[in-house]
Amino acid sequence: MRNATIQTLYEEALRNPNVYFITGDFQHVREKEFIALGARYQNAGMAEQNIIGLAAGTALCGKKAFVYSIIPFITLRCMEQIKIDVCAHKADVTVIGGGAGFTYGTCGVTHLAIEDIAMMRALPHMKIVSPSGPAEASALMREIVRIGGPAYMRLNKKGEINLHNKLPEFGKGMVVKEGKDVCIIATGTILAEAIKAAQVLAEKGVSVEVVNMHTIKPLDANLVKERALSRRLICTLEEHSVIGGLGSAVAEVLAEIKGTSRFQRFGIPDEWPNVTGNQAFLRDYTGLSGEKVAVAIEKLL
Amino acid sequence: MENLTVAAKKARRSVLDLVYGANDSHIGCALSAVDILVALYFRVMKIDPANPKEPGRDRFVLSKGHAASALYAVLSGRGFFSKGALETFAKNGSSIASHVTHDVLPGVETTGGSGGHGLSLGAGMALVSRADNAGCRVFVLAGDGELQEGSFWEAMMFASSRDLANLTLIVDRNMFQTWSKVDEVVAIEPLVEKFKAFGWDVDDVDGHNIPKLAEILTKTADRPRVVIAHTTKGKGVSFMEGSGDWHNGVLTEEQYKNAVKEVS
Repeated sequence: MRNATIQTLYEEALRNPNVYFITGDFQHVREKEFIALGARYQNAGMAEQNIIGLAAGTALCGKKAFVYSIIPFITLRCMEQIKIDVCAHKADVTVIGGGAGFTYGTCGVTHLAIEDIAMMRALPHMKIVSPSGPAEASALMREIVRIGGPAYMRLNKKGEINLHNKLPEFGKGMVVKEGKDVCIIATGTILAEAIKAAQVLAEKGVSVEVVNMHTIKPLDANLVKERALSRRLICTLEEHSVIGGLGSAVAEVLAEIKGTSRFQRFGIPDEWPNVTGNQAFLRDYTGLSGEKVAVAIEKLL
Repeated sequence: MENLTVAAKKARRSVLDLVYGANDSHIGCALSAVDILVALYFRVMKIDPANPKEPGRDRFVLSKGHAASALYAVLSGRGFFSKGALETFAKNGSSIASHVTHDVLPGVETTGGSGGHGLSLGAGMALVSRADNAGCRVFVLAGDGELQEGSFWEAMMFASSRDLANLTLIVDRNMFQTWSKVDEVVAIEPLVEKFKAFGWDVDDVDGHNIPKLAEILTKTADRPRVVIAHTTKGKGVSFMEGSGDWHNGVLTEEQYKNAVKEVS
């Protein structure tokens, strides 16, 4: 999905001379082609605070800036620059981060990206998209180019598959599987585990709807409210801390309406895993695999 | 155009009025920057107060955002807006905060007040101006204390590695940070050698000699240029000059009256 996103950004950059792209020493598929664009492409090295400031400076001169690196470095490392230089100026800057959740699981805690949504959600004017696969990432990139920043795009790395063939609409949840008893709202590539959980539960006679919440901010609150009043159980599933992410965003909506159905968050407990492992291993270890989510939901019903 | 000494006097008076009127602080660090701002806005920068968003204008970034009162005083003196527009400065319900905020008053380019942000913004602007052949120069005014921020040195490296010759950094070297001498807290010296080692063209100047400031700031080089402006914190008010008490200090009525007399 990184390749698809960068390819789309490159196509947009060819069409729109205002597109600037600044990377933080992070390799990508269209490096040679971007270099040919001259000043509009900068590999500004391992200096993320400067990268965000540079991007905001270009945006203040009327450009559309995109920055790209690994999530922890291009979000938490330079959080105050994102707050002031980008958000306080409502600057047209989009932060593209690779390595969501456990993508770089075996690298250890420095490369885990499980707090980023919480941090970004707290910033005024920031929009957040979290695509589930390459085609959706491309489509959302085109949306972001059209709508403009401040925005944050949360990606994994490469080799992800498309989990559906629908076109995402920015700010609207997408039903990828119909169901009437339970609704699982998921974001990012872990949508695959939500679909798996729905399949497991279907075999046991439980009808599970799966919603792809590719836009986390602004959240599709209408969809959440409607499901909260029409399903027995509403769940969220995300490869992010249970604090501050999609689960929190949905819980905030639910807490302010009357007579909602039962709610359960599935996310990473407030602790870094004390073991290492790849994405599939760590998802399962933290109870976020489709099989484990299905077991947990069955118990709740 | 107005006599530079008169413009600086009026600006100092405005700073005192604004800050005293709001029962606010950050006076010493505003007064040290006044002459630099007068040189920029009355002599050096290509700007038009009647057309503050003119695309070809020179850009100014106030990295030491806590000196907003000085910038606002000078912008108003230069005709960007009336002094009356500043009446609500830092008062409840006002859109004008005590730290610099863009899009609230004409001619203010950026929001800031957390150290170490301004040079990166300026480098981004300089990059665009050069790429677009817009012919704009970009001036960034930083405090000396904020040079302790690592982000500053990231921007220093980037600017010289891209030969951003249209970028000028001015360091308001008033020797103090919040309440102590900068070099006693964490030394930033030897500054000239550091800037040179980072690939910058370095100059220094008496930061209260406006004609000299104008001359030095008009010069450009083949790479980014830093001008170390040697200043006095609280310049113009004898009981503030060279004291560490007027970063956070708040004026009493008597002190305000005495200070006004001195700058008039």
